[in-house]
Amino acid sequence: MLRAEMAGSNDNGNGIKGDREIQRVRTIIVAGQSSDRTREVLRALSGFTNVIWPTSLESTLAQAASQDAGCLVIADDLREEPIDEFLQEARELQRNLPIFVITDPDDVAEAVSAMRHGATAVIEIPPSYAALCEEVSRAMQ
Amino acid sequence: MKDLPQTVFVVDDDDAVRDSLRMLLKSAGVHAEVCASAQDFLSSYDASQPGCMVLDVRMPGMSGLEMQHELNLRGVTMPVIFITGHGDIPMAVEAMQHGAFDFLQKPFRDQELLDRVQRALVRDTENRARLRHTDRIRERLASLSPREREVLDLVTQGKANKMVAGDLGVSQRTVEIHRAHVMQKMEAGSLAELVRMMMAVAPSP
Repeated sequence: MLRAEMAGSNDNGNGIKGDREIQRVRTIIVAGQSSDRTREVLRALSGFTNVIWPTSLESTLAQAASQDAGCLVIADDLREEPIDEFLQEARELQRNLPIFVITDPDDVAEAVSAMRHGATAVIEIPPSYAALCEEVSRAMQ
Repeated sequence: MKDLPQTVFVVDDDDAVRDSLRMLLKSAGVHAEVCASAQDFLSSYDASQPGCMVLDVRMPGMSGLEMQHELNLRGVTMPVIFITGHGDIPMAVEAMQHGAFDFLQKPFRDQELLDRVQRALVRDTENRARLRHTDRIRERLASLSPREREVLDLVTQGKANKMVAGDLGVSQRTVEIHRAHVMQKMEAGSLAELVRMMMAVAPSP
């Protein structure tokens, strides 16, 4: 039931039944507070279709749990929750979902902590968003 | 089966670091063994020895990351804590992706390392207990006849005896007998327990 609802909300409202048969583009879910970095990540990912940036962590998790999820990108700090807790929650919902975390360069401790809590990879920004796009492309294959 | 006492294996090419880590671990009541190189460790390693590892990332000869790769190939499950003077994020991510327990940058406080060592030792104990549990299940599975195994696979998929009988082209009575043997050999008290056992030995996704 929940699945059907989420699939519906993903279709931007045109939840025609036949849509289900067409190969769907899986979503790239971006999480992060409204900040310059989150906006930069969204811009960097603008080459991909179906990038979504849910407004609440709750809906982010719901999207991550849906079968349409292609990957989750944690772009920046979250307003409501520490990243590690959020990560763990998302990981528990979907064991195989690729989850990428963006961190400041050289914050090794934060990167290690994110990996321990279920991140697939941690990408430091700057130097560039190329590594992120590469990881996301691979995840979406 | 009683476990051997846990040992922390320290592999670092720096004499001073090795000595200070040995002292530190000893002061915390943890038994430690130190090696100057990955090769030294690998040539004397005994898989039945429980514990954890503290590995320097950069060493001449085989680096810590190469050693981790080698340990993975050999099926060594001991948690590995990396320590490094010049870590960067890609290096840390790589180590963690390959199953490192932790990755610690120098300089660190003594207590920081001790905390992680303690956690790694707990993890090793858990891993070994889980391994013993799944080994036992695999042994029991191996004792099933091919037909019993078929019955097990079908009933753990949630099929009723009648459906299993249909699938296998035998009578329901025969399925009941096989099923009773399966439960007995697997030492399962209920279907739910049997399903849990099969999940425990299923290859992780």
